[in-house]
Amino acid sequence: MKLLTKTTIYFLAAMVALLGFTGVYLFIRFNEGLNERSDKEMLYEELQWVNYLQSATSVNATFRLHSRDISIYPTDAPAESLASVSDAGQLPNESGIMVPYRQLRQIVGIGQVNYQIDIKKSQEQKLALVRDFTRIILVVFAGLFLATLIFNWAISRRLWRPFRQSLQKIRSTDLQKMQTVHFNETNTTEFNELNATLNLMTGKIYNDFLSMKEFTENAAHEMQTPIAVIQSKLEILLQDNNLREDQMASLIQVTEALTRLSRLNQDLLLLAKIENNQYATTVHISLRDVIRKYLVLFSELIREKHLNVTIELEDDLIVTMHESLADSLISNLLGNAIKHNFDGGSLSLKTTTESFEISNTSRREAIPKNRLFSRFHMNTASRSSSTGLGLAIVKKIIDSTNLRIRYHALGEVHTFYIEK
Amino acid sequence: MKILIVEDEKSLRESIKKYLDYQGYVCEVADDYASAREKVLSFSYDCVVVDIGLPGGSGFDIVAELKNTVSKSGIIIISAKNALDDKIRGLELGSDDYLTKPFHLSELNARIQAILRRRNFGGDKVIIFNEIKLWPDSRRVTIKEKPVELTEKEYNLLEYLIASKGWLLTKAAIAEHIWGDEYLQAGEYDFIYSHIKNLRKKLLDAGCGDYLKTIYGSGYRFSDV
Repeated sequence: MKLLTKTTIYFLAAMVALLGFTGVYLFIRFNEGLNERSDKEMLYEELQWVNYLQSATSVNATFRLHSRDISIYPTDAPAESLASVSDAGQLPNESGIMVPYRQLRQIVGIGQVNYQIDIKKSQEQKLALVRDFTRIILVVFAGLFLATLIFNWAISRRLWRPFRQSLQKIRSTDLQKMQTVHFNETNTTEFNELNATLNLMTGKIYNDFLSMKEFTENAAHEMQTPIAVIQSKLEILLQDNNLREDQMASLIQVTEALTRLSRLNQDLLLLAKIENNQYATTVHISLRDVIRKYLVLFSELIREKHLNVTIELEDDLIVTMHESLADSLISNLLGNAIKHNFDGGSLSLKTTTESFEISNTSRREAIPKNRLFSRFHMNTASRSSSTGLGLAIVKKIIDSTNLRIRYHALGEVHTFYIEK
Repeated sequence: MKILIVEDEKSLRESIKKYLDYQGYVCEVADDYASAREKVLSFSYDCVVVDIGLPGGSGFDIVAELKNTVSKSGIIIISAKNALDDKIRGLELGSDDYLTKPFHLSELNARIQAILRRRNFGGDKVIIFNEIKLWPDSRRVTIKEKPVELTEKEYNLLEYLIASKGWLLTKAAIAEHIWGDEYLQAGEYDFIYSHIKNLRKKLLDAGCGDYLKTIYGSGYRFSDV
């Protein structure tokens, strides 16, 4: 879950609780206030009546009033010092609709006569007020709520922007270009700390990467000389006419193993060099020409295996690639397509202006996706004649250009697609 | 024919010397930049085999030095670096060939012979082995003065076998010479057997001696002994 979502949710929960309590409190206070006011009005009305009675009934006549809201009549009950105000329940109003009423009752002594005074007051207006008030509160709260959310979101976005930028930088950076990455100063202390650490870290990673690349290249390079020594000594040893056949066979096997070692070494060196961008180029090259060259070069092998070759090279695929890499790419793919083929199998090559497709038959199982381009992943059957780096090199070459490569196997047919 | 071998790795230097001695060249050696420079300035060689990475300097400077002295020597650079830039630089400086370590001694020999043949303007441009005659420029072959039709590959094979006469050549060495380094990518070179077989048949049919011997199924030797 996003941090923003999380903070928003917590914020939301707090806001809902807070606004809820505030709302209820305000409502209660308002209700109480209204009741108090209407009670006071009734008390005032009563006072008016009492004043009126005192002045109007100076003669010894009794006063009686019965209206819908007020009834005043003499009573024998003793006078009360305090008026009692209470809810009168639902009563019909002028239009006959049941509405809540509040009423005041008091027995007041006017001269010699005690009067029962009942004043009822419709709560209809109050209810309408309460309803309006509730509506206003809800609207205001909702607005407040929304505004807070938007502010929170906007502020968070703004505050986290440097973090997001740093993240984007890390994500879009590959090891090759790490030296150019710099995490800029921001005006947030925490992010500054983060960026400073990131700068330090990327610097260290890049330096480690550099020294590792350098090491790989140097190691592979330095190994060539001892291999050359061994090979030359073996070649001279092989000339010894006194060798027994089994000794000769051993020497040949050693020579072959050495050839593989040297090959392996050259492949590793090539990988290191591609990684070191030593083949960066802007030269455009015709892949079709390279394919034709290797078809001629591998023609013996193709004939040996009696392969059915289908060639569709009408359109040319022009790629931006170093000549050596184009050679390596095609020789690896074509070499594999021949090597893993069976006698009488088929091989097809097709170029369009946008793609190159090479497919071959093979009894081998489809290469698992996750290990397709991994180094030293090879079929046990090809261990003796392969370095296990061919496809890794192919992938590296493709990655160093703007091309893409796909592989799929359908039954016996294995296909590699390269496309722009 | 005098050859100077400039290589700081003692074992490799000795191997090269041993092989070239066997081929009948007069070999001198140098193991660092200073002694190599002194030698190329003081003496004349038909061919100089020079390593790039030398103690005290670069093999490229030796190449430049040789060119300054208007030497007629052929120059072969041997380097552990299989870098296109280095190859181009070497050729621009005036070297004739560039060989990447590790290499087959027979390959080095074949290249030296090719260079010497190219440089020897006045000399005979025919390779002769008993009744076999090769004209490298026109790629013609005669046996007992009668022409033999060979495919390009078969011609290359024969020239290589004769250049390495008496020397056991492994299939890998042959494949690498005829089809190039790239070919090893395919990892298999048993197919050269059919080329050898065809060549041998053509030679025998033309009345040539049976010089091409298979050694324990592992390699081939062209020899009249």
